[in-house]
Amino acid sequence: MTPHLCPDLEVLFAELEEGEGPALDHAAECEACSAVLEEHRLMENDLYRLADPLPPPTLVASVMARVAAEPIPQRREVWSGVAILLTSLVGGLGYLLMNDQALGRFGTGVASFVVEGRLFAEGILSGAHALWSTAGLAVATTLAFLLLTSLLGLKRLAGNVPTPSEA
Amino acid sequence: MAEEAPPLPWKADVQAARRGDPSAFESLVRSVQRPVYGLALRLLQREAEAAEVAQEALLRAYQNLHRYDDSRPFDLWVLAITRNLCLDLLRRRTKVKTEELEPMKEVLPSGDVSQLERAIATEERQSLEEAMATLSAEDREVLALYYVQKRTTKEIAQVMGCAPGTIMARLFRAREKLRKKMTPAPEEAAR
Repeated sequence: MTPHLCPDLEVLFAELEEGEGPALDHAAECEACSAVLEEHRLMENDLYRLADPLPPPTLVASVMARVAAEPIPQRREVWSGVAILLTSLVGGLGYLLMNDQALGRFGTGVASFVVEGRLFAEGILSGAHALWSTAGLAVATTLAFLLLTSLLGLKRLAGNVPTPSEA
Repeated sequence: MAEEAPPLPWKADVQAARRGDPSAFESLVRSVQRPVYGLALRLLQREAEAAEVAQEALLRAYQNLHRYDDSRPFDLWVLAITRNLCLDLLRRRTKVKTEELEPMKEVLPSGDVSQLERAIATEERQSLEEAMATLSAEDREVLALYYVQKRTTKEIAQVMGCAPGTIMARLFRAREKLRKKMTPAPEEAAR
């Protein structure tokens, strides 16, 4: 067999993986290709004998020491949220206390809410009563739909996260 | 090489570790430390850096445990983290300076073979290690994952984030480069 008829090596090795093919048939009769395949087989044998080195004996202890210094990832997220909330609250309260005008507005707002809140609540209740008496079924269905979609959305957001007690 | 993925023995440990059980995470670390360190050493070729990267990869795995997808093998996920850290370090290293890579000498042992076989194979293995050390990081990682860690092309594709077909081509190229380095020039010319 003349060298120029030898198949491309990539084709030869692809057929070697598959176990059959014209390139392999050729190699069976071609000295040069047989030598390449034998060389490949020996190299693969040597490669398969290589093994991963043993890691340093202190690796696990070092990792676990760093892990011990880390909070549980889930909990850290919760604490980040709480920290942001508290910072915002403290900032808001600080602004109110440091600014007389803002404190005055806040006081007026609270007083007007107490005075007018009752009237507002009565208005809302009377509106809801009128709506219920005219289209009770439609209102109940809409409310149930909103509740269910909200719950499903919350469940999807939570995913497989462990419950707070588990975390 | 088996193409079927093994079951997920780490699932219970992952769930326990997510709930804050340190012994469960320690068990995970023990199960993956050797392939993680092995890959890091193959890529970085420096023991101290490999140990540092392995440690960092395992810590990041812990920090991101809530993001880990249970349906994927845990070891492949950590190997992917390790690989990314190694590539980052290699990029930084080439930016800082270009230097000759140290040969790994006796750092990387052979598999479990008898003492006699080991004695016979030492010379060939050493020349193979030396030839491998001269390859690019890409070639080293695909050879290490396929032959040393006995991963399937599908698993390697998961670690490297590409198609299994690409792995076959990369494997072929890496093997060819290695074969050429291992083969004296006259024999190559004879073909």
